[in-house]
Amino acid sequence: MSAQLDGRLHPLGVVVLLRRALGAGLLPLLVIVLSADTRVVAVLAVGLLAALAYALLAWSHFRYRVADGRLELRSGVVRRSVRTIPVERVRGIVVTAPFLHRLLGLVRVEIEAAAGGGDKAELSLPAVSAAQADGLRAAVLGAAPVAEHADRRVLFRATPGALALGGVTSLSYLLAPAAVIGVVFNLVDDLPGNLVERGGDVLVDRAPHDVLGVAVAIGAAAVLVLLVAAAGSLLVDWNFTVTDDGERLTAERGLLTRRVVVLERDRVRGVDVRDTLLRRPFRLVSVNALAAGLARRSGGTTLAPVLHRAAVHTLIRAVDAQAPDPLSPLTAHPAAARRRRLLRALPVPLALVVFAVVLVELWLIGAALLLTAAAILVALDRYRQLGHAFDGRRLAVRGGSLHRRWSEVDPRAPAAYELRSSPFQRRAGLCTLWLHFGQGAGSRRVLDLGEDQAASLLRVLDASLLEPLLAGDQIGRLRRSGARRAT
Amino acid sequence: MILRPPANQLDPRMRTYWLVEGLLATATAVAIVVAAAVVTAVAGATTAAWIVAVVGGAVVVALAVAAFVTPRLDYEYFRYEVMELGLYVARGWLRRRWQVVPHARVQTVDTTAGPLLRAFGLVAVEVTTASAAGGTSIPGLPPDVAGALLEELARRAGLEEGT
Repeated sequence: MSAQLDGRLHPLGVVVLLRRALGAGLLPLLVIVLSADTRVVAVLAVGLLAALAYALLAWSHFRYRVADGRLELRSGVVRRSVRTIPVERVRGIVVTAPFLHRLLGLVRVEIEAAAGGGDKAELSLPAVSAAQADGLRAAVLGAAPVAEHADRRVLFRATPGALALGGVTSLSYLLAPAAVIGVVFNLVDDLPGNLVERGGDVLVDRAPHDVLGVAVAIGAAAVLVLLVAAAGSLLVDWNFTVTDDGERLTAERGLLTRRVVVLERDRVRGVDVRDTLLRRPFRLVSVNALAAGLARRSGGTTLAPVLHRAAVHTLIRAVDAQAPDPLSPLTAHPAAARRRRLLRALPVPLALVVFAVVLVELWLIGAALLLTAAAILVALDRYRQLGHAFDGRRLAVRGGSLHRRWSEVDPRAPAAYELRSSPFQRRAGLCTLWLHFGQGAGSRRVLDLGEDQAASLLRVLDASLLEPLLAGDQIGRLRRSGARRAT
Repeated sequence: MILRPPANQLDPRMRTYWLVEGLLATATAVAIVVAAAVVTAVAGATTAAWIVAVVGGAVVVALAVAAFVTPRLDYEYFRYEVMELGLYVARGWLRRRWQVVPHARVQTVDTTAGPLLRAFGLVAVEVTTASAAGGTSIPGLPPDVAGALLEELARRAGLEEGT
């Protein structure tokens, strides 16, 4: 049985299309309308009518259809386009409600599909009702419409406090004010006259010159940065909620733009748990699902933007009942891996030390030595973090130091496997195993495995595919050690 | 190493192909270095011109040596094999890589040939998967071997004719 569906955009979608037709011209247009004389307004009115006509045409030409196992989208005013993709190529559907859409009670639907050649073809319905979005999801993903809130179990809900803490411990939110300041400076540079210089002089005159004043100014700036970071996180992830209706996970978030991502539970191929240096003192981590079809760009795979470490296992068990515990011990990698971490970390800081000694600058020597010590500590920690474990079903991998990542993945899901070894690794008897996942899920690597560890791992990850690659002596060795263990 | 090498090698003409490619790169480098040195010298910056000439000369010598040495190694270490469940490719002699692409994950199989490769009467086989990092290529085979390989990979991947 194949689902049938035939539809247009929601009638109010014309407003969205009109907004789109006007594009970036909307703001200047409003300014001119408010300030100019009647003739200019008349010209603009004609332009507006043309845009409205265009939007109406675009609306009337837009059709979507699901029939015979294909999704078909017809659109375009000047250049008509018909795009057709087989329903089984659809990897996911993302529903967003930008600000204007929320005013109109509409949503935007993006269909992420796997296209031949690995590039992604994206189809989107610019403005439909929530019911239409559900109907499309049901027809394309062959699933029942998303159940009412009552039947859904809440797996995770982020509290405002946690989100604020997540914001002030996230580098990208902390650095956001810098980007804003850059933009403002660029704008100010374009202002006429010496307004900026005069403003600058005034600021310098009024700036505090005593120690207390400077300290207060710096403190105020720091508080402002923290507030902006917290606000950014709250804005993006407001009321982040993951619910479960048995087959699907639904993640909703956002204050102004509400974003809804639906994830088929069967398509979850693993989970990433990350922590950073800033978040470690608070024992906070972020959790992402690895799912075929949802690119990281859309943030579509986030299960929890900030979460206490102790709660992670409960969350990922709710997604995958047999998921391994992120806190359970892993198999360490050989001591040669520690030497390799140190050898890779030291050349730059040591060169700086030599440089400083040559210059005979005492403070520079001190700084270079401090940097060397830090590099050694990070290298040792990088080694300590390295590890992997295979429980017969999922492969758990950990790596990193300042940014740590623990992943558990389905070892049969990758689009390709790869073993790499550099000359240094070969001399140390090490190699790196890569698992390349498709569709925006990226790659995961098991760094600096011992060669014998790699051989045993390949043999158990996917025996029928990977065992034929092993060199004869390896198979013999593994069989012998297996036999020894058995007796 | 823990993995056995795949069974098949590339066409032996690939050694000459890589040599020509390396020599072309060397010739381009020579042209750039000479032009840069002449321009700086004419501009009156004699010291800078010498530095450009010495550093550029070293780069050119390195490229020339690599052009003669690496094709043999690249050829020796590049192997491929169609296994029961996947395509197995080994490449690289300094940084060695062994790739396995399960047939079930292959999205497209194509043959391509640039002008230089065509001049040698060879074609390359490209395999793509859903992962950008998960594809592979076999850079030089005679057309009949490449055609047979393409057909076999497409058949095992369950791809329709012409995709």
